[in-house]
Amino acid sequence: MSEQIPALEIKHLTKKYGDKVAVDDISLNIKKGAFFGLLGPNGAGKSTTIHCITGIAQPTEGEIRIDGIDVVKDYKLARTKVGLSPQEFNVDIFATPEQLMDYMGGYYGIPYAERAARIEKLIARFDLEKHRKVKFQKLSGGLKRRAMLGRALVHTPDLLILDEPTAGVDVEQRHELWAYLKEMNEGGKTIILTSHYLEEIQYLCNEIAIINHGKIVAEGTKEEFMKEGKSVEQTYLEVIRAQK
Amino acid sequence: MIMLNTIGLYTMFRREVKRTFRVVVQTLVAPVISATLYIFIFGTVIGTRIDDFAGVPYISFVFPGVLMLSIINASFASASSALYFMRFTRGIEEILIAPFSYVEMLIGFVGSAVTRALMVAFLILTVGLLFGAVNLVNPLMFVVYVAAISAIFAMLGIIVALWAESFEQLQVLNTFVITPLTYLGGIFYSVTFLPPLAATITHFNPFFYFADAVRSSMIGYSEANSAIGALVIFGLVVTLGILVTYLFRIGWKIRS
Repeated sequence: MSEQIPALEIKHLTKKYGDKVAVDDISLNIKKGAFFGLLGPNGAGKSTTIHCITGIAQPTEGEIRIDGIDVVKDYKLARTKVGLSPQEFNVDIFATPEQLMDYMGGYYGIPYAERAARIEKLIARFDLEKHRKVKFQKLSGGLKRRAMLGRALVHTPDLLILDEPTAGVDVEQRHELWAYLKEMNEGGKTIILTSHYLEEIQYLCNEIAIINHGKIVAEGTKEEFMKEGKSVEQTYLEVIRAQK
Repeated sequence: MIMLNTIGLYTMFRREVKRTFRVVVQTLVAPVISATLYIFIFGTVIGTRIDDFAGVPYISFVFPGVLMLSIINASFASASSALYFMRFTRGIEEILIAPFSYVEMLIGFVGSAVTRALMVAFLILTVGLLFGAVNLVNPLMFVVYVAAISAIFAMLGIIVALWAESFEQLQVLNTFVITPLTYLGGIFYSVTFLPPLAATITHFNPFFYFADAVRSSMIGYSEANSAIGALVIFGLVVTLGILVTYLFRIGWKIRS
């Protein structure tokens, strides 16, 4: 029965900032285990949607459920289900990667011993051993991204949201990260990914939606986006250009 | 229904204690040096030339107010700087996405600031006891009032941190409200020395009750009605607690 509950269900979500409509009546259903790509130009409403899901922003209208749990009415429980690696580095720049994971794990109520074990695994997984006690502000762009991912995963969320997780990451590290994300998804974790690297979306995602001017303008499986031998990028450009 | 996020709250306290020790000269050493200087000036230089106040040496009368000033500064600075910095760096999003209720957010921020204020209070108290400047006649009352007064200024610090759009604005309340009302609240003088009108006005200054409560717990001397004092202090704790919880609930300046 629980398998029928989607990992994420968005119904008629609208988010306004004053008179400006950032997200305009969108609905989405993301099933458990999906690797979902959310595409769109800058300012299309991707990050706003993510902020509404995670509690950084308050929806103006509509309903969002994570694993059947309403993110507004039952926000505390809903937040235990989600991990976020945001586009911008929303951290204390004087904290180290180890501290960032420790504090976030603590905020999620994970006991010390369990938290310490998870942090060790994440530090090893993201090759942060040499940098675990280096202040965030001193890390390179790629290391910062890895620290953010570690922080997002420390409480082992069911739903992982990655907003531009490979921005500023070099090619080799990006491929390593892709392998890890694929491994996690194959292990059953639901992942939502936004990225301007469309080859990344094509490689990783099995479901895709395009948001533009706050509305969902295309949605389907990767195969549907790649029909007639097109790449995801070609389909994306066609859809966006048709909107102009 | 999720239980109180105790590990989360402990993590918030732990993080603030770490931050306190990261700038230990500013947060703990400076108040202790100030308190020592007050003991030297009001105890040795001036105090020896002033008759006892209500049967106690002048330094014993003044010292509780000095301690109160220090805990006000510690709790206000702790809460306002921590939250404003988190807004500035968007680190506040770590708290917003975590499973904290709005009341837990209040407890976390206020408890962290009170923790720092209590550390300052006990260090200054130790200095006062070592130099024989003060007593502690009612330890429980002392801890309760120090915690309550610190909580008031932690919550004022939170409100200012939410409102402020620059580091300079963080100082506005401190400069134009807290400092004047503190100095006019009978820290350095007895309200009985004032003309009747000034004495009456002083009784409408909440800082008069803050200083009196701390003084009463330390040296057993009080100039205010203790029931009114308790009502003012705990009334402010409850009122500000409701206001700050409401501000967190609507996400004022922190949730878009």
